[in-house]
Amino acid sequence: MSAVEPAEHQAANVSQVAEAARSGMPVEVTRSRGSTIWTAIAVIVIVAVLFDLPRIVYSGTTNLLVDFFFLLIISSMWNLLAGYAGLVSVGQQAFIGLGAYFVLIAANHGTSPFMAIPIATAACAVAGLVVWWLVSRLRSGYFAITMWAVASVCELIIIQISSLGGGTGTALPGLTSNPTYLDAYTYWATVVVAVVGLAGIYFLLRSPLGLVLTAIRDNETGARSTGSRVARTRLVVFVVSAAGCGAAGALYIISQQFVVPPAAFSVSFSAEMIFITIIGGIGTIEGPIIGTIIFFTLQQTLSHYGVWYWIILGIIAMAVAIWAPRGIWGLVSENFGVRLFPVGYYLWPAGESPRRFIGGKR
Amino acid sequence: MPDLSGTPATLLKLDGISKSFGRVAVADNLSLELAAGEMLGIVGPNGAGKSSLFGLIAGDLSPSAGQIFFDGSPVTKLDAGARCRLGIGRTFQVPKPFGAMTVFENVLVAVQQGSGLRRRASYAAAGAVLELAGLTLDANRPAERLGLLSRKRLELARALATGPKLLLLDEVAGGLTDPEVTELVGIVRQIKERGTAVIWIEHVVHALTATVHRLICLASGSVIGDGDPAQVLAMPAVREVFLGTEISASLGAPGQENG
Repeated sequence: MSAVEPAEHQAANVSQVAEAARSGMPVEVTRSRGSTIWTAIAVIVIVAVLFDLPRIVYSGTTNLLVDFFFLLIISSMWNLLAGYAGLVSVGQQAFIGLGAYFVLIAANHGTSPFMAIPIATAACAVAGLVVWWLVSRLRSGYFAITMWAVASVCELIIIQISSLGGGTGTALPGLTSNPTYLDAYTYWATVVVAVVGLAGIYFLLRSPLGLVLTAIRDNETGARSTGSRVARTRLVVFVVSAAGCGAAGALYIISQQFVVPPAAFSVSFSAEMIFITIIGGIGTIEGPIIGTIIFFTLQQTLSHYGVWYWIILGIIAMAVAIWAPRGIWGLVSENFGVRLFPVGYYLWPAGESPRRFIGGKR
Repeated sequence: MPDLSGTPATLLKLDGISKSFGRVAVADNLSLELAAGEMLGIVGPNGAGKSSLFGLIAGDLSPSAGQIFFDGSPVTKLDAGARCRLGIGRTFQVPKPFGAMTVFENVLVAVQQGSGLRRRASYAAAGAVLELAGLTLDANRPAERLGLLSRKRLELARALATGPKLLLLDEVAGGLTDPEVTELVGIVRQIKERGTAVIWIEHVVHALTATVHRLICLASGSVIGDGDPAQVLAMPAVREVFLGTEISASLGAPGQENG
């Protein structure tokens, strides 16, 4: 027995459960499944290859991947917020825009834009705290629309500040003039943010907080009655999501080398996050990854068809909503029992094979 | 911690609690005391305020007047989560499982949040609670795929997993067959034997009278009978308000309100 938290829990309260545990049947718990080890190996190989890529391929490819990882980061952050905390927002572009402008402010004061990425991330976390104080009492549609309003207010405030380029935008100073180096640095920064962001989400969801989060999503009243700190849990997720979108915004301004308020605070970011998460599979870590691959492929192959591109996107969204309400990944994991990033717990009696208990859902 | 030694015998004390929904009083200047380890049954007609009373004790509802003390300290201002962490566990009349989570995870989250255990200690505690509730073989099933009896068991297991000093059971036997009720009564007795105080609301009166030593009858948010179960059920006022409805309902009297 280990890791008993004595703080603010009375001794009698804890010892009763612990005593029950001691008298009980010996059990084992596993967090991983057979597929996990392969996922881990694959992740290590993919990350290693990604880091080496600027030495291997032309910058056209890495620039495409910058766009890809940007979409992956923002949709994963939206998925954390909507799919796990049940907070459906159409205003996360507020933090993308703010992240971009925090980098601009830091760069105007002589900081390297790349060094400003963590600054912008932290500043967006603080901004997330302030926004949460405003919106924490709202739910469902009211929350969604208010977040959109928050994003618009942020945009309108930035437009008023002429030192940040006002409504016509401004170029980002402080970037190296060597395009090869700039592309490579931008790419590496994007990969780092994506890996840190996704790993952060994965370990957050594996922690006790992740379990609470899933409980709150499934039944809020039930979660409260089992001692969950609902408000604090939502706050943490909202702040993490704000920081993640802020980091994405920082990458956005660096890759564009220019920023203009209507683009940085565009609601189309929200449309992309939602589309990617829904078609990939909301409420799973794998969903936004699959969704980003699908969306990005469609965007690259069809975007020059103009209106038809949007019609096809709409048809796909409708088809997924009707025939695969849990998204493409939902279909795959239901039919094949695969989890690449397991966050759950599986119990089996000590001495028995876990396989028998976990069954086909290995 | 404030003086826990002050009133060692009294675990829960309701002092003049009132609560109304519109013009319907679900608690009307209601006072009640419960000793540590005591087992209390509550009966009453539909709409008497039984479930609302649990809401008030557990913190899902806040009273318009009155004070609630638990374990010697006032808890009236605390939310449901904080009261649970102090040792008030509850079940709901309609089970509220975390559907997409497995049975084990349902119980584990209650152990971790309610009693503050982590890692191996929490796994072992959750495993023990599952065994007590007879859910071990369902441990890795998603809660949404459980049948009614298993849902009721899970509801009980989850409340138990928070490590309560006071367990509030809201119609855990409702909708179950007689053998199932007997099994459930057995589980509740084991809980009681460990020294956990229990308040049990039940329409299945024989399940109650077989288990509790003290019975309260509620009507319109007031206590109209309190004491030995047989004596309370024999009181004229109780027979009139509680059994009267039951008899009319079971005869299927036309136009009889039973919702």
